[in-house]
Amino acid sequence: MSGQKKEFPITWGMVIDIDKCTGCGACMASCQTENNVEPQREASNKLRATSWMLVYELTNDKAFPNHDIAYLPRPCQQCGNPPCVSVCPVIATDKNENGGIVSQVYPRCIGCRYCVAACPYHVRYFGWYDPIWPEGMDKTLSPMTSVRPRGVVEKCTFCHHRWTQAKDAARVAGKDPENLDDGAYVTSCVQNCPSGALAFGDIKNPKHKVHELVKSPYAFRLLERLGTETQVYYISRREWVRKLGDNYLKSE
Amino acid sequence: MGLDRRAFLGLVAGGTVGAMFTPIPWKLIDDASIWTQNWPWIPRVPKGQVDYVATTSKLCPAGEGLKIMRVAGNPILAGGNASHPLSCGGVSALARSEVYMLYSPARIKSPMKRNGKTFAPITWEQALVEMAEKLGAAKGAVASISGDNTGTINEVLTALTAKLGSAGSFMMPSEATTAAKAMKLMGVQGQAGYDFENADMVLVLGADIFETWGTSSRNRKAFGANRPAGAKPANTYVYVGPTRNNTAAVCDQWVPAAAADLGVVALGIAWHLLKAGATSNAPGFDTFKAVVNGGFGPEDVKRATGIAPETLATIAKALASAKAPLVVTGSPFGQGLGAAPVIAGMSLNMLLGRINKPGGVSMLPELPSVVPGALTRAAMLDGDLPAFLKGVESGKTPAPKALLIYDANPAYGLPEAATMAKALEKIPFKVSFSSFMDETAALCDLVLPNSLPLERYDDVATPYGSGFCVYSLVRPIQKPICDTKTTGDVLLGLARKLSIDLKFDNFQQVIKEKVASLTKVSGGFVAKDVMPWQVAAGKPAPALVGGDLWKALEAGYAWTMVGQAAQPAMGFAAEVLAKAVKAGKPATATVLAPYAQLRTGTPVTGMPCQDLTMVPDTELKGDTTFIRVNSETAKALSLKKGQSVKLSGAGVDCQAKVHIFESVMPGMVAAPLGFGHTAFDYYSQGKGANYLSLAAVAEEPGSGLSMWIAPEVKIA
Repeated sequence: MSGQKKEFPITWGMVIDIDKCTGCGACMASCQTENNVEPQREASNKLRATSWMLVYELTNDKAFPNHDIAYLPRPCQQCGNPPCVSVCPVIATDKNENGGIVSQVYPRCIGCRYCVAACPYHVRYFGWYDPIWPEGMDKTLSPMTSVRPRGVVEKCTFCHHRWTQAKDAARVAGKDPENLDDGAYVTSCVQNCPSGALAFGDIKNPKHKVHELVKSPYAFRLLERLGTETQVYYISRREWVRKLGDNYLKSE
Repeated sequence: MGLDRRAFLGLVAGGTVGAMFTPIPWKLIDDASIWTQNWPWIPRVPKGQVDYVATTSKLCPAGEGLKIMRVAGNPILAGGNASHPLSCGGVSALARSEVYMLYSPARIKSPMKRNGKTFAPITWEQALVEMAEKLGAAKGAVASISGDNTGTINEVLTALTAKLGSAGSFMMPSEATTAAKAMKLMGVQGQAGYDFENADMVLVLGADIFETWGTSSRNRKAFGANRPAGAKPANTYVYVGPTRNNTAAVCDQWVPAAAADLGVVALGIAWHLLKAGATSNAPGFDTFKAVVNGGFGPEDVKRATGIAPETLATIAKALASAKAPLVVTGSPFGQGLGAAPVIAGMSLNMLLGRINKPGGVSMLPELPSVVPGALTRAAMLDGDLPAFLKGVESGKTPAPKALLIYDANPAYGLPEAATMAKALEKIPFKVSFSSFMDETAALCDLVLPNSLPLERYDDVATPYGSGFCVYSLVRPIQKPICDTKTTGDVLLGLARKLSIDLKFDNFQQVIKEKVASLTKVSGGFVAKDVMPWQVAAGKPAPALVGGDLWKALEAGYAWTMVGQAAQPAMGFAAEVLAKAVKAGKPATATVLAPYAQLRTGTPVTGMPCQDLTMVPDTELKGDTTFIRVNSETAKALSLKKGQSVKLSGAGVDCQAKVHIFESVMPGMVAAPLGFGHTAFDYYSQGKGANYLSLAAVAEEPGSGLSMWIAPEVKIA
């Protein structure tokens, strides 16, 4: 992977404890309504469906009774060295803001889908259809995220609007908006997870829980050897789960 | 002055370069790109002041407290309420749907009367007149069904049914109905409550505690709180059941066992505990000991279940050595379990001395009743709806002349759906109070739509599984969007029309009286700074300031109480176990192992439209659902991945495709529930098959309870 990791004073990161995820989908439900992803009638066609947060089912590929499963929620990995950014011809996606969240500017997007092809995590979704809500349901749209037309690419933004709100709240409270308390800014999926499997915070801030969690011997990132330096970490005490995080050879 | 070619080219080039250095072309391109995405059919997001109000989820059986985000007074998003003990900030996919379901295409928009094969809208006054006339004529033979396990509405419904001459008031079958029967047979009163928060070793027999069993969001919070990420867990969970379901996926150990053998496994563990010296003063202990020693030794259990003796010995040892062990029993799909496995599981709690202990089981008292003549929850749970409807279908039980159906969809959500639908057809006058056009509403003569939880007053009182008594308020934060009414108000209006005195004029008064009654309950407090599981662990309970309770409930806090009802000693009900639990030979036929998930909704909600995206394409692809079998079963049945098959059982056929999934026991066919609707909207209708319809109902020996825990199916 060419390019270098971009460093920022604040690095928002998510830590997902796979051993606590039951695969219920509450994170997906939270994300979709928070970010105005429209209900999809033919959602079983996964090549056309949009889900910024997606829960994958992992297996150890063994036969009964040695079979084991785990669930892996997958938001945008907010790469430190994002492959999607370098391929975008119109700078609709960029990593240029403190916090390290990879942006997506919908009006700039020309729908070429280079970024979709470049992303190794399949976090980017092309809008194949006009966003249509059942009659009246558009009254429940969140004011925080704009509705995207068909023909552009969209993805998880770590609920960026919540960061803006948290900074505003800090200013009102007379606190430093660039040094938020742990928990002052969390994404919708993290907030609503019934198992408490997701944690969120500034990885570089020693006062934030995730600062320690990413150092866990059980922590890993997806496809680390690509050098994407993602800001999403996973934790599992199961070795087979950690090994699925990258394309290891049998001898490794 | 002439313009030669060189000057012209210079002008053009200069003009072009000059224009490039101005912002004009870039601004025009930027604007054009915005305009190309600015079509009138793209919805605009709302603007206005943002605020948050509290209520409680009624669509989700887990009863989570909610914080609703509003914009300009309109509800926008439902999130978990961190201050509520059944949410602790978490929210299920189903509870999240409370807001957008206000605009579900399946909503019934006004009262309707059957007109041949279709419905015609009528006014509420016409509906009341029609209902009063028909129910007046049906006096003495009026039945009611409720699918709401936790609401005070049941008091209004059952009191009215009683005054009209009850032919039976039933609750839809669930974990609560099974457990209530088991507790009754064990000679105790109250609802079994499980203290997950203070338990350090939890043995789960069948119950999908992190998905469909009881207070599932709270259960998960309790599980997660003692398992810091990446560190050694402070509690141990062992799951026993036919598939590695969502609960088993995060448990420390999965012990494969058929759902029909859960009682055998429990008694097999009891054998080890008794051998290690466990004893009890409870009534029936000697008989229990004789039953266990007589047929549930390690080899008996191995022969019946395939579970190695050392596996159960290790679990028994872990339970005996834990500080606060807890055994929870339930159905892997939330219904259909007999009472005996629950008794067997509870017997383990008794042998371990876990009754009314922190981290154990308490028999929670029922909250005071406020409507005169109403049935208690225990009395409602005592009814056996599948048996009643089967009796009606076969002619053994006289069909009621009228049936009131509240928050229930028996035509879809019961086993042997074809039989149940035939029974419903025999009842001449049926009224549905459903909010959505479900399968049962489609069979009814009158459909009187209930306002949705965000549009009405309602309540949630101690959902099954909660470790403590809990009461929280559901309150209207939005005017009814359609021409709907709170069913409580409709029933009270109907009572007035029939000159029946139910003491109250409207349902809000009922709720206010209920809240007032809680202030008189000894030991109750508002869970705010102190949570009920902390009180169970020994922390003093704060005092309740009566006048503030309504305000506290409106603010999203819950009233709670810890401890169990005073009552006689719990017995082992060994005679039931002797009849119902047999360590026989393993089943040779193919057995259906249904599983349910909150993301596919409940029989009364259908599939919430946003949740369809969450269903993986190994469960639903196009309009076909998948069954799951392991490779050994697939080989034995000559099935291949992706193959289309027909499942047959209880006189019904269902289509499916095959998904090979190794975390299913051999001989089992795991099948997802929540699909195959014939009603609702295009997000639910025609998506897959309703595999519950394949389950045949049998009578459990010893208890007489209807059960359908392990139905046999044929695959072709």
